[in-house]
Amino acid sequence: MLNSNGHRRETTVSRVDPALKPRLRRRSAFEYVAWIICCLLAVGILFSVSTNPNFKWHVVARYFTHETIIRGLMLTIFLTVASMVFGTLLGLVLAIMRSSSTKPIAATAGVYITLFRGTPVLVQLIFWFNIAALYPNLTIGIPFTDISTAVDVNALIAPITAALIGLTLNEAAYMAEIIRGGFAAVGKGQIEAADSLGMSGGMKMRKVIIPQAMPSIIPATGNQVIGMFKETSLVSVLGVAELLQSAQLIYARTYETIPLLIVASLWYLVMTLLLSYPQSKLEQKYSRTSSRLPRKAKKVVLTAPEGIAR
Amino acid sequence: MSTDGTIHARAIRKSFGPKLVLKDVDLDIASGEVCCIIGPSGSGKSTLLRSINGLETVDTGVLKVNGENLGYYETETAYHRLNKKQIAEQRTRIGMVFQQFNLFPNMTAQENIMAGPVLVKGAEKGAAARQAHELLASVGLAGFGDYYPAQLSGGQQQRVAIARSLAMDPEIMLFDEPTSALDPEKVGEVLAVMKELAKKGMTMVVVTHEMGFAREVADSLIFMDDGYVVERGDAREILRNPKERRTQSFLEKVL
Ligand SMILES: Nc1ncnc2c1ncn2[C@@H]1O[C@H](COP(=O)(O)OP(=O)(O)OP(=O)(O)O)[C@@H](O)[C@H]1O
Ligand SMILES: [Mg+2]
Repeated sequence: MLNSNGHRRETTVSRVDPALKPRLRRRSAFEYVAWIICCLLAVGILFSVSTNPNFKWHVVARYFTHETIIRGLMLTIFLTVASMVFGTLLGLVLAIMRSSSTKPIAATAGVYITLFRGTPVLVQLIFWFNIAALYPNLTIGIPFTDISTAVDVNALIAPITAALIGLTLNEAAYMAEIIRGGFAAVGKGQIEAADSLGMSGGMKMRKVIIPQAMPSIIPATGNQVIGMFKETSLVSVLGVAELLQSAQLIYARTYETIPLLIVASLWYLVMTLLLSYPQSKLEQKYSRTSSRLPRKAKKVVLTAPEGIAR
Repeated sequence: MSTDGTIHARAIRKSFGPKLVLKDVDLDIASGEVCCIIGPSGSGKSTLLRSINGLETVDTGVLKVNGENLGYYETETAYHRLNKKQIAEQRTRIGMVFQQFNLFPNMTAQENIMAGPVLVKGAEKGAAARQAHELLASVGLAGFGDYYPAQLSGGQQQRVAIARSLAMDPEIMLFDEPTSALDPEKVGEVLAVMKELAKKGMTMVVVTHEMGFAREVADSLIFMDDGYVVERGDAREILRNPKERRTQSFLEKVL
């Protein structure tokens, strides 16, 4: 109220070239209040966190680069990378199966995706850990021949194997949906153009569909990597000594629970932040290229009146 | 597999769900003939054209393209679907140009043109590149080989698309409203390329709203409405002096 009047008078008086005057952003009273509340809260939390002796920051500092923790971190990174790589490959296969025109193949992939997305990862992990209860002895062999070897499933499914299988199979279902979404984003016209040239299904996939689906698949995959990094903490229930389990192993001994959870959390946070940077770069890069694709023509047609007389 | 370049259709019908889109359509196009298909929106022009290269399959009727049953082989009692490879082989002999160009955005103009010969026919890359050069020159785009579709104007993209189809050395070229997505000043350059092609004796079927092109270049003309072929015959004759009421009222509106 005050400044709306004030401003109007100013414009008539001042000598600044009106064309060069900066346009100021309007800040509402609410914004100032929000700032003040935020600052107060931040100061309060910082104060409490740094003065409360129970946080034991010296313990955090001591264990932050402790060998057990670092080894756990390495295992976490390994699990993330391995399950993402295998999950993406399997997801690609599932996505191609899902888009198949052969019904049973598409349905198989559909059932897989439904099952693995419809049940919690934690349950799946425990399930794979206990798979030996279902099939105590696995016989790998060639059907209708005597060539086979029996494998003791209990020995085969060590915790880390169960973790890897569980994470991979689950991730594959999500990646399949992401990749299929990418496929679906490729215009029908592209597929028709490939068809009209007589391209085979595999050729179409490799040369036309996958290259064009990449811009939407890659950023989403980056998000999955970040998610997977934290998801690996679930495998601690199997006793796999990844980051969280490593922290637990230490505090089971020293009872310094909170400091060690902070150590683990800080590592998760650091890694997530490190991953977010390339992720946001990827997102930018691919959103730019996709906007360079010739989408303009499409719009013209939608609005062009039919049967234009010339 | 002889070169042929003819299209014959007898009583073809096609429905999408309950909606009959092609109603007993007959078609006879001789080798080297240029045929324009005109008609109001939704009359089934695109569907007919897409049936001719197998992007749509007709429900009943006879459809022979290049002298062969398209997509099927015939026995005493029925038509049996050909396998994918045979269908793809038939398609390589029918070029299709789309309203939306549909160039592959991940490939340069030259790669687009080479895609068919190299990936489908297994042509040697050097030879395909040379052919692409010639084709680009023939559509007036010499030197544009390294451009991506996004860097080309609509008219240029459409000319590359025509070159891409021609690279397969087809007997028949189908055009579905090739200039409808273009700015008015770019229409001419595409039509000029098509005119050249017609002169060289290519069999062409062109769905178009460009009556000038139809009058100047087309040998025959088909007017479709509501899934029927209402009138067909000599292009100039129909445009000058349409016999059917519906053709007359349509032409009054567009001319
Ligand atoms: N894939 C499809 N599924 C269902 N209906 C369709 C499909 N394709 C076309 N049709 C319908 O078939 C009819 C004929 O369509 P078609 O595209 O052949 O018309 P057209 O003459 O090419 O029209 P336009 O001048 O607008 O391109 C329309 O009513 C349309 O809605
Ligand atoms: Mg159409």
